[in-house]
Amino acid sequence: MLTSYNSILTFNKIKLFGLCLIVLAFSCEDADYDLDNPYDPTNMDLDPPALFFHPPEVSTSLGESISVEVYGLKLDSSAGAHFDIRYDWGSVTVDSVVPGPFFTGLNDPMEITVDEQGILDVFIYFLPDVNSDQSQSGTWSIATVYFSTISKGESELLFGPNTTLRDANNELVTINEYGSGYINVE
Amino acid sequence: MLVIRGIIILHLVSFCLATETTRSVSMKTGNQLAVLEFEGWSISEPLTKFLTEEFRETIRELEIFQVQDQGLTNEISIFYPRTKNYWACWSEDCAIDLGKRLKVNYVIAGNIQKKDLNEFLISGRLFSIDMETLIDEFTMNSSGITDSLLLEMKKMAYNVSGLPVPDTLSVGTDTSEVATTGDIKLKRQWFKLPPIPTKIKALMMSTAIPGSGQIWVQRKYPGYGFLGTEATLGMAALISYYNYNKAWGGFEENYSSYQNGTDPHILEELRPKVIQYAQESRRYNSFMKSIRGVAASIWIVNMVHAYLVAPSDDYFDGEYFFDLEYNPNVNQLQFNFNF
Repeated sequence: MLTSYNSILTFNKIKLFGLCLIVLAFSCEDADYDLDNPYDPTNMDLDPPALFFHPPEVSTSLGESISVEVYGLKLDSSAGAHFDIRYDWGSVTVDSVVPGPFFTGLNDPMEITVDEQGILDVFIYFLPDVNSDQSQSGTWSIATVYFSTISKGESELLFGPNTTLRDANNELVTINEYGSGYINVE
Repeated sequence: MLVIRGIIILHLVSFCLATETTRSVSMKTGNQLAVLEFEGWSISEPLTKFLTEEFRETIRELEIFQVQDQGLTNEISIFYPRTKNYWACWSEDCAIDLGKRLKVNYVIAGNIQKKDLNEFLISGRLFSIDMETLIDEFTMNSSGITDSLLLEMKKMAYNVSGLPVPDTLSVGTDTSEVATTGDIKLKRQWFKLPPIPTKIKALMMSTAIPGSGQIWVQRKYPGYGFLGTEATLGMAALISYYNYNKAWGGFEENYSSYQNGTDPHILEELRPKVIQYAQESRRYNSFMKSIRGVAASIWIVNMVHAYLVAPSDDYFDGEYFFDLEYNPNVNQLQFNFNF
């Protein structure tokens, strides 16, 4: 019994030593990578804090429904926002607007939408809770806009000059750059 | 009367049966012989060594015994290091003990005594290890110069081998060696693998497991040193590999998610993770490469060391294989290669 135990021990030692030798003999490959994902905000060439449409380009066919997210890049905490979105109203119509996680705390945000001849005004407000009276900061989706295509053509999505974000003190939140979007209906 | 008749018949029957069932009993034994170094009394050590080796060589040439090489015989000092007096193994117990350790069938122990100015007495004993007994004892007197002593050793080799001493040996010159081999019918061996020299064996062992060759040749501290160093480096490499593997796993998982992801928020979180895991895996891999370089260097040093510290065999000096030795005549380390 003792002999067999010793044999097992010796075998285990030899195995361990063999493993060490194998590890000594070989080395592993180095990590080689390209961080070139086009949806990575770092690759979007925007100066934060910024607002942009995600995805920036959408290709679709006539009669289809599409969604475009209004995204904030490295935004500071905010309590409310007014998005002045310009689109080609001869090519697409707005179906609905759904708030994203940026203004979602313990309560869902309040949202008002006014769509008038190619100008979509979206008002989103953070509803204060016991933890906070404004949103978290960072890169988040603020709202998702659903469109339906009504004719073939190209439509550009732009942020109008009335687009603003305000914090809990009703102070303007700095936005350095605004991105644009593009809808191609074929 | 009947009882007596019965007893007589029983005896006759048992006698007949006994004769029929008698089998010849013989003890089969090998012919491996180890010649221990002769002990020199009042003669120099190199001369004793030289004479022992000549004696060993002559017995080997006669091919009655398979004579163990000098290096292998002297390996007994590797396994059981003793003082010089060790070679004065004159008693039956000592010789049999050594014979068993050397795994031979016969052992010859002897001594060379200087009696007077030019008179030597050579004594030798042949022990059977299998039968654990002294088989024969030889004593020869030699008077004269060293050549004569050499001749006497050769004669003794014939005696030990149980062969008649050729007349040519009586002439008394060393050149008789050529003539004597012609008189004996040598067994032809078509193919015989040369024995592995101790140095090569130690080298091979240390190549397989660092330090094992040194430990085998009784250089335990350097042996354990090499073994321990390589094991420590191996363990360090193993730990490093474990960390590398962990980092690599993290890198692959995050990089794959990054490549396939479309959500800017998630991509922004994945980006620093990919960079961090890549850096970690590179660091551990670089550490492993460094360890590998150091370990390989030590491994090579260990192999050379094992070769150098292992004792030389007699056949190793230019007869077979190669030899690395210091030549004092030219004050250089020489590499000899010979077939």
